[in-house]
Order: sequence, then C-alpha cells, then structure tokens
Amino acid sequence: MSGRDGGRLPAIVRRVLEPFVDRSVAERVLISLAAILLSIGVGFAIVLVSGRIAQCSTAAWTMPVTGLGFCYDPIEVYVVLFNGALGYPFAVGEPGIFNAAWTPFNLSFGLTLSETTLLVFTGLSVAVAFRAGLFNIGTQGQLVVGALATALTVLAIAPLLPAGPIAGVVVVAVGTLAGAVGGGLWGAIPGALKAYADANEVITTIMLNFVAANVAYVLVLEVFRAEGSSVVATRYVPEYAQFRPWLFPNSSDFALLALLVAVGFIGGLYYAVEHTPFGYDLRTSGVQAAAAEYGGVNAKLTTVRAMTLSGALGGVGGAVWVLMSEGRWIESVPDLGFDGITVSILAGNNPLGVLPAAFLFGLLKGGALEIGFRTDVPTELVGVLRGLIILFVAMPEFFRMAGRYAGLGSDGPGGPGTSGTGGEDGESEASGDAAGSGSDAAAVGGGEADA
Amino acid sequence: MNPAVHLDGITKRFPGVVANDDVDLEIERGSVHALLGENGAGKTTLMNVLYGLYRPTEGTVVVDGEPRSFASPRDAIDAGIGMIHQHFMLVDPMTVWENVVLGNEPRTWGGLRVDEATAREAVVELSERYGFDVDPDARIADVSVGVQQRVEILKALYRGADVLIMDEPTAVLTPQEVEELYDVFEELTDQGKTIIFISHKLGEALSAADEITVLRDGVKVGTVASADVTREELAEMMVGREVLMEPATTPREPGERVLEVTDLHVEDDRGVEAVSGISFELREGEVLGIAGVDGNGQSQLAEAITGMREPASGSVDYFGEPMAGVSRREHIDRGMAFVPEDRHERGLVMSYDLVQNGILGSQHDPPFASGGRIDWNASTEHAESVIEAYDVRPPNPDADAEDFSGGNQQKFIVGREFERDPDLVVAAHPTRGVDIGSTEFLHDRLLELRAEGKAVLLVSSKLDEVQGLSDRLAVIHEGEFSGVVDPATVTEEEIGLLMAGETLDDETVSGAAIHDAVDDGLDGSGADGADGTGDPDDAGGSDRETATDEEVGA
Amino acid sequence: MRNPLADVPVPLLDDLIDDEYVRSLVVGVVGTLGLLGLFGLLFPGSVAGDLAGIVFSTSTAASTARLAAPIVLAGLGGIFAEKSGVINIGLEGLLIISAFASVYVASVVGIGNAVLGIPAIWIGFMAGIAASTLLAGVFGVVCIEFKADQIIAGLAVWLIALGLAPFMSTVFFGGVNTPNLGANVGWRYSAVMVVVATVASWWALNRTAFGKHLEASGENPKALDTVGVSVSRVRYAGVLLSGVLSGVGGSALALSIGQFVGSGETMVQGKGFIAIVAYLFGNYNPLGTLGAGVLFAGLDAIQIRLQQLGYAVPDTLVQTIPYVVVIVVLALVGRTRLPAAAGDHYETEE
Repeated sequence: MSGRDGGRLPAIVRRVLEPFVDRSVAERVLISLAAILLSIGVGFAIVLVSGRIAQCSTAAWTMPVTGLGFCYDPIEVYVVLFNGALGYPFAVGEPGIFNAAWTPFNLSFGLTLSETTLLVFTGLSVAVAFRAGLFNIGTQGQLVVGALATALTVLAIAPLLPAGPIAGVVVVAVGTLAGAVGGGLWGAIPGALKAYADANEVITTIMLNFVAANVAYVLVLEVFRAEGSSVVATRYVPEYAQFRPWLFPNSSDFALLALLVAVGFIGGLYYAVEHTPFGYDLRTSGVQAAAAEYGGVNAKLTTVRAMTLSGALGGVGGAVWVLMSEGRWIESVPDLGFDGITVSILAGNNPLGVLPAAFLFGLLKGGALEIGFRTDVPTELVGVLRGLIILFVAMPEFFRMAGRYAGLGSDGPGGPGTSGTGGEDGESEASGDAAGSGSDAAAVGGGEADA
Repeated sequence: MNPAVHLDGITKRFPGVVANDDVDLEIERGSVHALLGENGAGKTTLMNVLYGLYRPTEGTVVVDGEPRSFASPRDAIDAGIGMIHQHFMLVDPMTVWENVVLGNEPRTWGGLRVDEATAREAVVELSERYGFDVDPDARIADVSVGVQQRVEILKALYRGADVLIMDEPTAVLTPQEVEELYDVFEELTDQGKTIIFISHKLGEALSAADEITVLRDGVKVGTVASADVTREELAEMMVGREVLMEPATTPREPGERVLEVTDLHVEDDRGVEAVSGISFELREGEVLGIAGVDGNGQSQLAEAITGMREPASGSVDYFGEPMAGVSRREHIDRGMAFVPEDRHERGLVMSYDLVQNGILGSQHDPPFASGGRIDWNASTEHAESVIEAYDVRPPNPDADAEDFSGGNQQKFIVGREFERDPDLVVAAHPTRGVDIGSTEFLHDRLLELRAEGKAVLLVSSKLDEVQGLSDRLAVIHEGEFSGVVDPATVTEEEIGLLMAGETLDDETVSGAAIHDAVDDGLDGSGADGADGTGDPDDAGGSDRETATDEEVGA
Repeated sequence: MRNPLADVPVPLLDDLIDDEYVRSLVVGVVGTLGLLGLFGLLFPGSVAGDLAGIVFSTSTAASTARLAAPIVLAGLGGIFAEKSGVINIGLEGLLIISAFASVYVASVVGIGNAVLGIPAIWIGFMAGIAASTLLAGVFGVVCIEFKADQIIAGLAVWLIALGLAPFMSTVFFGGVNTPNLGANVGWRYSAVMVVVATVASWWALNRTAFGKHLEASGENPKALDTVGVSVSRVRYAGVLLSGVLSGVGGSALALSIGQFVGSGETMVQGKGFIAIVAYLFGNYNPLGTLGAGVLFAGLDAIQIRLQQLGYAVPDTLVQTIPYVVVIVVLALVGRTRLPAAAGDHYETEE
C-alpha cells in the first residue's frame, strides 16, 4: 500500500489509541469541558442574582467597580465546592497555598470517592444501553431492585457461614451477583417489551422506576422490615460482609476496594464494547440498526441482552450501595440512577469517559456538603448545576455554532476539522475521484433522489 | 406567446461538482416535456432550481416571459409552479382534503375553524374538473400510490400551479396507474397546464411527452420532438457512447442446483404483497439477471432470498435445504453474499472506518473473531486487501465510510461481499453510482465468480448490464416474472415490453424458453418457471398494449 | 383482536370521538362508575356502598380535581409538544417551576394586595404560567435551534427545576418549603380550568388550521415545509403551549393549598411523568387524557379516603397502578403510536 507511513503501529495498538486521537472523541471531550464551564458560569450568575435578592446583614461579596453588595460570594462558592470536596488540599481563604496538613485519606474526599464509585456503575449502566441505541432511564429502578436483592441475599446466606474474612469474600461476591441478577432481570423487562412488543423503552423504564421504588418499599415495609426500626429498612448486613473502608475514615462510607472493582468494570466493559464481536453487534445496532441486521445481528436479542447487561450494572451499583454505603436496604435510595444518565452523557457514552465524569459528579456531591457547612448558599445549587451540565452537554450544536462564531472556522471545537488524521490526503484523492466519475459525484452533490 | 418556462443558461455548482452546466430550456405552454437522462445527469438539480429549492450559480429562470429569482419554493408556488416529488410529501394519518389544503386552509369563525365544507368542495371540484377519481375523506395511509400521486397533483393545482414538475412520476406506479397518469397529463394539458417530468426511461418519455430534453453529466445534449426521434437515437443521446458489454461467452457447465425458489410471496414494509408467486432456480456457474422498473418487487425478492425478510409463503431452498426460519447470520455463514441496494442504510455503517466495515457480517467468524475478541490485525489486513483489489480511493482503511464518495463506498461493499468466498452472490445494483472504469472491473469480477462456479443473482435496472452479464434474464413486473428470456437474442424493445408488463408474442417467448432449456441441458423448472409465469400474463395483459409503444417499435 | 367496548354505541360522542380506543376508554369508565353506583344503592352497608359513598362524595371530587389538574393540564401540554414532533419529557420540571414561582410571586405581592385590581393569588398564578413558559421556551430553543436530543434536554429541564425551585425557596424563605400563603385557589377553579383547557385543546387540535399544522409537523415535517409553513414555528408553538398548560397545572397544584413543598421530589411527586402516561393512555386525544388523568387522580383520592375510613389499602401499591397500567397498555394493546417524526430534528433544504 503506497502513501501510508511505513513505521505503522500494530493494529491493536492503534485500535486502543484511536479513541484518544479520534477527532470525534476529541470534539466530545471539548464539548463536555465547555458544557461544564458554561454551567459554572451560569451557576455563577444564579448565585449573584440570588445573592442580590436574598436578605443578609453584611455583604459577603462586593462587585468590583460597581460597589454593589451581594449576600453570596460566587467565587467562594466554587472554591469551597472543589477545595472542600477534596478535603481542602489548599488552605481556606488563600487559594493557591497548599495545606500542609492535608492527606488524601480525609472524610470529604472519601465521600467524594464514595459517590464516584457508585456513579461509575450507574454511568456504565446507562452508557452500555446507549451504545446499543437504547435509552435506559430505568437504571434507578434497576439499582433499587438490585440493592434489595443484594440485601436480602446477604441476610439470608450470612448466617449459614462462619463469620470471618473468607465468608466475607464469599458473601460479598454472592451478594453482588444477586444484585446483578436482580437488576438484570428488571432491566430485561423493558428490553423484552421493546424487542417483542415494540414498547418505547423510554416510557417503560420511567414507569418501571416508579414500580420498582413502590414495590420494594411495600415489600420491605410489610415483610422484611427490621424490627424496631423507625425507618423502612431491612436489618444491617454483618460488618464482615461489607466493603470495608481501608485507609479512609469509617464515616466516609468509602471502600477503596469498591472503587478498584468499579475501575475493573470500566476496563472490562470498554473491552467488551470495543473489542469483542458482542460489542461490535451492540454498537452497530446502536448507530445503524438496518446495517446491523444486514450484518447478521439479531436485533431483538441484542436489545434484550443490552438492557439486561445495563440492568445488571445498575444492580451491581445497588449492591455496592448496600454493601459499602448503607449496610442495609433503606427506603431513601439516592438518585444514583438518574445521575448515571448525566454521567453517561457527559462521558459521551464511552466507558472510559465514565470515570472522570463520575468523579466530577462525586466532587459536586462532596462539595455540596461543604457548601452547606461553610457558606450561606443553599446546597441545592449543586442540583441546578447538575441540570445545567446535562442541558449543555445535550446541545453540541450550540458549541459548534459558538466555535464557528468565534472565528475558529471548521477547525473549531465542533468543526469536522479538515486537518484531521488522514483527512488531507483523503481530500485530494476524493476530488480526483470526483473528476473521474462526474455523474456519480453529481448524484451525491445534486441530491438526485434516486441515487 | 411566451413559453411557459424558459431556463436561460442555468449553471449550478456544488463544492467540487458542476451539477448543471449552462443549460438552456424552453417549454411551451400546454405541452408535456420530458427531462431525460441517466441517474446523476443533473435532472433533479435543474428542476430544484426551477422550483426555488436551489438558487442557480449562473443563469436566469424566466416564467411566462418574466425573469424570476426564487428565494424559496414559496416564491415558485406564487409564480404558478408546482412540484410533485418522487417521495410524496403527504401526511399519512390525515385525509385527502386535509392534505390538499394543508398550509392554505380556508377558515371561518375568525380563523378559529377550518372551513371544512369549503375545503372539501374545492377538492371535489378540482378533482372532477380533471377527471380524478379521489375520495376527499379517505386517509392517505389507506389509498393507493396512484391516488396519492393524484392528491399531490391536486395540492399543486389547489395552489394555482400552471406548470407541474414531476420527478420520476412512474417510478412507483403500476402500468395501469401509468396509463391513468398519461390520461391525467392529457386532461391537464388540454386545460392549458404545462407538465415537465423527469425520467430515465426512454419508452416513457417517448409515449408521454411532446418534447424531450436529454441531459448528460449536467450538460444539455439536445431537445427533440418525440415524434421525430427513435429509441436508438435517444439512447445514444443519453449514454453518449455505445457501452459495449462483453457478453458472457464462456460455455456454461451447469453445476449443482444452488438455489430453488418456489412460488415465493413476499410482503413489503407496509404489508402489501410485493413479490407474488415467483419461482426459479439457479445453478453453480450461472448468472440469472433480473431486470425491471424499480419498485416491482426485486428488492423484496433479494431480501427474502438473503434472509433479511421473512417470506409470506412459498419456499427458498439453498443447496436443497429449506431456508425458512433460518437467521440472517446463518445465511451469511452458509455462504450467501449480498450486495444490498441501499449502501447508506445497510451496506455500510457510515460512522465506522473501513476496517470495521470490512468485517460487517463476519464479525463472529475467524479470522476476524478469535478467542472472544476481534482480531484487528486480521481485520485491517482484510480491509486493505479489499481496498487494493477493488481500487477504493483514497486507500485509507482508517477513514470513516461516510468520508468516501458513493462510488468508492459501493466498490468497497462489492469487494467485501465478493471476497467472502460465497457460493451464492445476490447483487442488487452492484454498479450503481460507480464510474465507468470501475464498473467494467466489477463486471469482470462478477464473470470471474461465475467462472469459479459461483451462482449469481444479479438485480439491476441497467439493461445493458443485466443483458451483458446474464445467462438467463428474468424480467420482473409487479412482483411476477413477466418473462424469462435469453439475453443473447432478446432485443431492448422486447425487454421494454416485458418491463411494462406486456408479454412477448408466443414465438419469442417459446424461442427463448427453448433456447434456455436446451442450453441448460437438463431441467424442467427453469423453463417451467418461464412458461408458468409467462402464460397468465399472456392472457391478462396482451389486450392492453398501447398504441404509442407500437408506433415506437415501428 | 377486536375490543368489544369499542362497539358500544355512544350517541353523543360519536361525532366527537372517532378513535375507537378512546371510545372504549370512555365507555369503560362510565360503565364501571355506573355499576358501582348501582351496587352502592342496592347494598348500602357493603364495601361497594362505602366505595360508592366515597366515589360520589364532594370531598373526593375536590381532591380528585386538585390532584388531576396538574396531570391533565401537563398532559394536554405534552400532546401539543409531541404532536408537533418535540417529545417533552420535562413536563415534571415545568410543573415544579410553576408551582414554586406562583407561590413565590403571590407571597412577594402579598396576600390581600392586588396589582391592577388583580388579587395577589392570581398574579402568582400568572407568574407560574410565565415561569413555566419561559423554561419551555429554553427547552424549545435548545431542541429546535441547537438540535439537542429531546429526551436528554427534557431530563435536564426536570433536573434544573428540581434543583432551582428548592434553591430559590431556600434563598427567599430559608427552607425548601415555602411558608403557607394562608389563601388558596378553590378546587372548583381547578375543575373549571381543566375542563375548559381540555375542550379548548380538543378544538385547537381537531378543528383549527394550527391543529393540522401541528399534526403535519410531527408526522411529515417536509410536507408542511414544502407548502410554505415554517416547521420551526409550529414546533415552537407546540412547545410553548406545553409550557403554558403545564404552568396552569403547576400553579393550580401549589395554589390549591397555598404552599410550595420542595423536599424530596417536591410536591409535584412525579405528576409530570404521570401526565405523559395520561396522554399516551388517552392516545393523544385531550378527552382521553382528561379521562386518564381523572382516573389516576381519582384512584389516589379514593385510596386516601379509604385509609381514613379504616380500610388498610397499601397506598403505595395503589399509586403504582397507573405505571403498571401504562406498561401493560404499551405492551399488549400497542395502540400508542408516536408521531412519525417525533424526536427528529428538521432542517429545511439549503
């Protein structure tokens, strides 16, 4: 093959590297970053405006030049948010100065990582369905079911084994598996409904979220409620059957092991999606269903499989929530499933992007608590930021337009850059070809409907 | 009197392409004008300029003696120009009258209510004036394609169109509906309307138009009166040079029976029967060509054979084994290659690079899948070999499919399918959009496959292609074979008649069938198929032969 | 499979409802209520008697109207958006934002005060509508102008409102729940608004040119474009109407008790999603949506009353019924067909 560089990397290496050099992935990353920045900007404005309206005795921040006083200091909010979520690696009030007493194993950072870990699972759950062209809004319900399955399974088998670390490993493994099975089955329902009854999965998964929450609640309320409990919750699982918080403070509810498991899942899922025949079928169904069918992919089966896998990942998220965070199933299940949608979208539905995206939302969660402690700004601000990020990530066209406006031309953050890999020689070749087959090119360019 | 439309030196350029080059066109009021040319000749682009969808790069549109500059179709409509697109612009769940008045609804109650009575009356009145038989209250989804087309015409007339542009108006019609359409043309022109229709079919232009303008590669070749021109002259104007096909001269050694299709009935996506009882067989080392006007069931036939579509009834046997209920993947695994007609929807995953596209259909099979993972080295090598062998340009396996031109995409698909080492190749329009040099190469490859003993089912609307490559040529019409002929002896006129659903006189048919049977050496069902499908048509269709066609033939 | 209920002749409704599915819905509901009334009259002491007493009581009617208003109104709004081709899954967010804004503005104006002769509570009502319409407008721009994925953008609308309303409440009132205004909008107003909006929506969708354009925009936008009607405009109108109607629903919900509750899922509690269920269940027909909304709200209201009478009905399970019903309807009946072009972006040529 002429015209191609001689010292080429082996195909597998290029495959692995491709996502990082691929221009569409680069564009995705740029858009995600821009969306985050824009959300922070809008959040800044919201803090300012509400700080102007709110009542307070002394101004927390005075706008330069104008001298207008505001009750909330928007800069402080963000400093506290991100610094606080990490446990103050920088000295408070003096940004840029390293805090000598800081260690990574602090409570706030633990909380951040705990949230990150849980969001990795729900983010992967949404991502894998997305890649198959399915919009799984039901990760929340799958997580609830998986969590209950885990709690009940662990409570059932723990007494059968002698207490101890070995039993702990077995029980945790079986419990996690139970979560995967429970979530997987719950996810298979909308998958099957989609495949065999053509029921829109967006609607059915939303509905199944409510059903899961309500049924699980009633089940625990009526059957599995711990005696004497003031809330609707099961009994606690034995401590040896939980993910233990090594290094981090107990109250952070964070186990490094769980995060490692999560990272393992990311790697595994990335490999499965990108480098296996199953992943090829899944992705192809997602981007071009008709071509997948042509290529021998069983569309119905792939739909059910993808939803089952997605549900199983949500269920594992539920298992980790029980075995790491709560130690039991409790009615107030956090919105991890919905946040998973946000994480997945921010990650461009790429398993590798799920980790940074989950970490960002972990930061927001950890930082929210600090905002509550340290500032007068309501912590609900973080919820607003979450919504804004998802809104902005949803509109890549906006950033492409902005990029073009800013004079970046087609090389802008969104432009399908003409200087991309292989694009240059592609262009010259293509134009030569167009000249050779004038009628064909005209058919494409001129939009002959029958071409 | 001014011509109804005068296109003065229209040039339309798209980035890198000249779709229309200095085209002059004058169209008389009250006439039917055909715009003839091959796919991609620039006919639709020219009409989109007239309809205000595109603005000409150079040149002027003159309507009724007045130079116009259309910013949008709205302006063209106001100037009395209406366009009926090939894909109808109708809202399925709405009724006929609702569609006709859409956007121009008469209103009462201070605009708060659509004046149904007035609207319906207007539709009925128009429909009666032009002799259309249309129920104003029928839902579009429930009426035939022919009626839908009339609704489109009513839409244009309701908006005051004097000039009607129709894009490939017969492509989706049955012969009866075509006849009715010609009557509609007559009715319309009698009442002073002007009709321009786009076509790539000679016979149609000759029988329906008063004047014919031929376009080729965006350039106007000439305008002729249909009374003064022969089919051969038109064909030469369209094609430019005589495309000589090397006929399949190698002697045939009929091998094992690969495919046997018996009384196959297949429905299309809407549940309407598209293939109505087709039977044939195909042997190793044989090319069966299927010619026909697009939309006569050939797509569904190809899909049913390759496992993309479940037949409604009848059977497909492959090496003697029934294929009913066998998955698409199993079809591929058993050695069926399929070049689909829609490369953007099916043949390629547009956002994948050629490496990934190269394994589409083989993603579970060695050497591309090994040990539960995809071997990218093997996949890349495969893509490179197809790219090299089939001259795909640019030769970059890492570029996404969507970055290639249509012809190069097609070459890659054909290459991938041909190199699958298949036993049966079903190729639908394999050279559509491919330049002449590559077309000849693909034809050679196809004949090589034949020589290697593969069975080939070739579906094409290019007559020269099916005629030049096939051992037997079946003509499909309305889901049935209207005839199976010997491509070496049949004339283009005869194929044209068969494509129009006519039958050939007994001598020709039997001659072809005998030739076929003799050549086959053995066999009943191949010839039987020809006779069996030929006979009923003979009874049903022969009395409907048109006078125009006769004249043309003479 | 033919639905026997669809064959029951309904003299008055025949002209109004050509959809046999909606007809069977109407016949089913009326029939069930009739039977219940009959049994209630015959056996006053039985469960049926109690149930009949509840179903036909004023207090049940009142709470049904109160609970149904946000569901039906947001559902009607959802019809307009979805018919035009924009799936608005953010109805929940529109309800939340309008519920909060109505209470906030009413309290800023001050109960007892009036602006231009309009009492504060109605000023608040209009502010709720304005807030919801504004948010719907943002959603519209994002979807139509910037070609965002409609589902994701809809979720964003929900999440933003879910964060913003309690945030603002905390800023202004020091807590996620606002104090009670001490005044409210009576349930009869809600009932009237629901009925008027339903009838008006039915008219707009079925009898006006706008209704035809909406349908064309959602089914085959190109057909609409080629006859010179701007698809974007029609879609903006559909989305904004979903904002207006949801705004009415959200304001009615909050002002009917004179307070915004922002804890957890807020006082809206998934009613926006139930609204989607209601219009799908009603097959995009406003009358069907009204029926479904009243049915779901009525079930809830009856269940509350039954609890009060000492019947141990697991309330959570009763609340689950609509969700299960919609899944079953989607799966088995499969009648709900989304507009062909719903969810797709549309661009005019060149």
